[in-house]
Amino acid sequence: MEPGDLRLSTATATAAPASRRGRRRGGLLPALGLLPFLLYVAVFLLLPVGVLAVEAFRAVDPVTFEESWSTANIGTVTGGAYARSYVGSLQLSAITAVLGAVLGLALAFAVVGSRRGRRLRRLVLTASGVLANFGGIPLAFAFIATIGNAGVVTALLTDTLGLGGFSLYSMAGLVVVYLYFLIPLMVLTIIPAVEALRPQWREASDVLGAGGWQYWRYVGGPVLAPPVLGATMLLFASSFAAYATARALVGSSLPLVTLQIADSLSSNVIVGAENLGKALALGMVVLVGLVMVFYTWVQRRTSRWLS
Amino acid sequence: MTAAPEPGTVTAEMPGRAPARAAAPADLREQPPVGVRLEGLTRRYGGVLALDGFDLDIAGGEFLALLGPSGCGKTTALRAIAGFEVPDAGRVWFDRRDVTAVPPSRRDVGMVFQAYSLFPNMTVAENVAYGLRVRRRDKAERAGRAAELLELVGLADRGQRYPHQLSGGQQQRVALARALAVAPQVLLLDEPLSALDAQVRLQLRDEIRRIQLELGITTVFVTHDQAEALSVADRVGVMRAGRLEQVASPDDLYERPATAFVAGFVGTMNRIPAVLGDGDVEFLGVRREVLGAAPAAGPAFALVRPESLEVEADPRGAGRVVTRTFSGAVTRLTVALPDGVEVQADVPSAGSQGLTPGTAVTVTPAERPALVEPAEVTP
Amino acid sequence: MSATTTGLSTAAVAGAAGVEPETPARPARRGRGWWRWAVAAVLGLYFLVPLAASVWFTVRSRDGVSADVYAGIPTAEGFAENFGRSLALGALTVLLSLLLMVPTVVLVELRLPRLRPLVELLTLVPLLLPPIALVVGVRSVLAWAPEYFFGTPLAEAFFALQEPALPWILVLVYVVLALPFVYRALDAGVRGAQLRTLTEAARVLGASWPRVMLTVVLPVLRTSVLNAAFLTLALVLGEFTVANILGFETFPTWIVRISGSQPRLSVAVSVLSLLLTWALLLLISALDRRRREEDPA
Repeated sequence: MEPGDLRLSTATATAAPASRRGRRRGGLLPALGLLPFLLYVAVFLLLPVGVLAVEAFRAVDPVTFEESWSTANIGTVTGGAYARSYVGSLQLSAITAVLGAVLGLALAFAVVGSRRGRRLRRLVLTASGVLANFGGIPLAFAFIATIGNAGVVTALLTDTLGLGGFSLYSMAGLVVVYLYFLIPLMVLTIIPAVEALRPQWREASDVLGAGGWQYWRYVGGPVLAPPVLGATMLLFASSFAAYATARALVGSSLPLVTLQIADSLSSNVIVGAENLGKALALGMVVLVGLVMVFYTWVQRRTSRWLS
Repeated sequence: MTAAPEPGTVTAEMPGRAPARAAAPADLREQPPVGVRLEGLTRRYGGVLALDGFDLDIAGGEFLALLGPSGCGKTTALRAIAGFEVPDAGRVWFDRRDVTAVPPSRRDVGMVFQAYSLFPNMTVAENVAYGLRVRRRDKAERAGRAAELLELVGLADRGQRYPHQLSGGQQQRVALARALAVAPQVLLLDEPLSALDAQVRLQLRDEIRRIQLELGITTVFVTHDQAEALSVADRVGVMRAGRLEQVASPDDLYERPATAFVAGFVGTMNRIPAVLGDGDVEFLGVRREVLGAAPAAGPAFALVRPESLEVEADPRGAGRVVTRTFSGAVTRLTVALPDGVEVQADVPSAGSQGLTPGTAVTVTPAERPALVEPAEVTP
Repeated sequence: MSATTTGLSTAAVAGAAGVEPETPARPARRGRGWWRWAVAAVLGLYFLVPLAASVWFTVRSRDGVSADVYAGIPTAEGFAENFGRSLALGALTVLLSLLLMVPTVVLVELRLPRLRPLVELLTLVPLLLPPIALVVGVRSVLAWAPEYFFGTPLAEAFFALQEPALPWILVLVYVVLALPFVYRALDAGVRGAQLRTLTEAARVLGASWPRVMLTVVLPVLRTSVLNAAFLTLALVLGEFTVANILGFETFPTWIVRISGSQPRLSVAVSVLSLLLTWALLLLISALDRRRREEDPA
């Protein structure tokens, strides 16, 4: 808006009804107030991601050490071991997101359904808050102590029952550990939606002759579908991005893209590995973006009634 | 609030909409009406008795309103008819069928809730057709029935909308259409108007009555608003603490309340200090016959409706007008009498302009038998 | 089964005892509560066993049970330094987040409701964007200092941000990571408080904008400010990815570093930090509830 417009907008504002004034006058000055936030986001969020997108296309010549534009990094990360790490990460995220969503939803229903258990509800919600956000490293060590090589439960199982064969330091092990923070994340995200299911809907459905299955098929399910989908999407992104837990548990022995990135950044051996890391990271951003696009498409189909 | 007809009734729901409505589908009209009988229903929540040996007979095709303050058990009674409440003791009969243990989905009742009961993920038409859908009727039949019922409630053009795109009043019309679509034996209305604006409330109230009369369906209507109950119901049951105080036609309830609680709850009632004599009662300086059985002689209260008091300007009168509230044909006066008694009187607006606050007046009860409450039994 | 697991499973069941679903208020459906019990019992076991096993792992020894590991935490090499650093980073992050976001949220609610979708979208990005991708980008930007700006004040500033004793760059990135939580906590508070009416009332009574912010907005928002602050602090105390990739030592990276040589210490610190965070969150939620009961506005 030009400075000259300011007078114009103030003039209209005085003529406008009182209730609208606050909004109409909100031209230049309040918008300036948003500047610190926008600048901060631009510098510390958008700029780094943008740099990633540019520098992933820079390559260093191993002989002359000269940098030039190239798609070599992209070619490298979309093939071989790197491609396998993407596939590994995607598989792990998909499995843990679906399992976490199903189990978290069940837990949310169990907690919401217990009307007498206000205290239980608060206990579960705060614990979920801690595990979902704080998780990472402490969880990894708790599991190492439990079912790691020298873990308490491992010893119990092998000594008393002669069981063995499950390794914490495998993909299956990661699934078990990831669920420990993904289920709480699901509970936190989905509880508001579960609580928003009105008892009148169930009663209206009952009175109209529907059974429980029909209620969930026609009403409860479709109403819950959009939030459940959104939460699953969040779980997927969270699992896909997880680094701390995997790092503490398996070092870099599993094909996961976050571990590959860290590896390439700390490598002093390969020339230009830094840019390879950027390409790998850019790949993650692109994949998350694609999943978001898919999610938006599905969401639009399942929630036509919301708009 | 009084039970007198509201002044200035609004007829058209919204500008440009014809008030004429389609007739109800034939199969709904030809349903034989079913009577409902509640026998000694008792329901206890923890230490609270919501229903305390509750008996009620509702004739087939009757429109019965259950009226009472919140917590009196009226909703529990309604939910017992629907099947959501399983009584601790007592039985529920639909004609000769004992439905006490029948789950809601098999009772064949229609129910309209207070608000927000429409399924948000379905269009209006899909909502109305839900009962048929779960009965596995084919698509054409569902669409046809939904159209008929939306026509009946005056929302024929809203079938493809979603509930959140409708006003509160329209949502309740849809809920009514949905409840009726399965041709239920009994229609249950759980405070269906209480979440609506005053004006919409009046229109929908009259419309519910119109449709009920047309279909001849047995209907139970729960409300805490006595004007609502008196204006639509064939009979009104006044409830208190899990029991029925009185069941009667609106006129009887208003003119001949069985208890002081009913008298106070239904309409406005003045309680004027009086002295019971032998077969008559003296108050405000005049003697009147006692309505019904006269209690023993002694101090008492005369119960008098505002419209049964006449007010005249009189410079030597003992009363003083305190407030004057104009409401169309009648004007409500609050008059302060000696000894700190205040009464409400409704006088014809025409010719009462002189009765401004401060005017000295005399108040005289109309020439008719008066209801009396012995002074000891003040509630 | 040994005594240990029996004890654990009873603990799990005791924890789930409150799940009893039947209530006097809604009695119609009977006999459908069993699955809640099953879910609560199985998941309760899943969540309690690792915690209990970790505690057992840290206290058992050849001569029985001892809490030596826990007693040794405060004096452990590097603990005080790194925990202190993480706390300082957390406090700075909380401060900067609030300074940035409280005015933004209030402004959006009161004056710029049309920009709400934009702010919402921007604050959602860090939730979905993998932190490791963000930090790789940050590393690239930091690398500009020696490459392009060497010798300029800008480069000096870049280097100052990376002081290992107190790496400000971590604070700056953590503010971004905390954005989704801080924004949502504050936004919920603003919406629940009918801020528009309150500030309009204050303005009509003649208060200036700064005064309104200080005397009306902040007191009304104190619960959500507290929530936001706590979530941010917990996030910083547990954050590993960014610190690790940028090569700084903080509390979590310290735990990983010592895990090889002192496994019991690393587990003890982990469990303790989890339980302490939980206790703190419970306390805040209890305080919040009490305040709401006293003042049902």
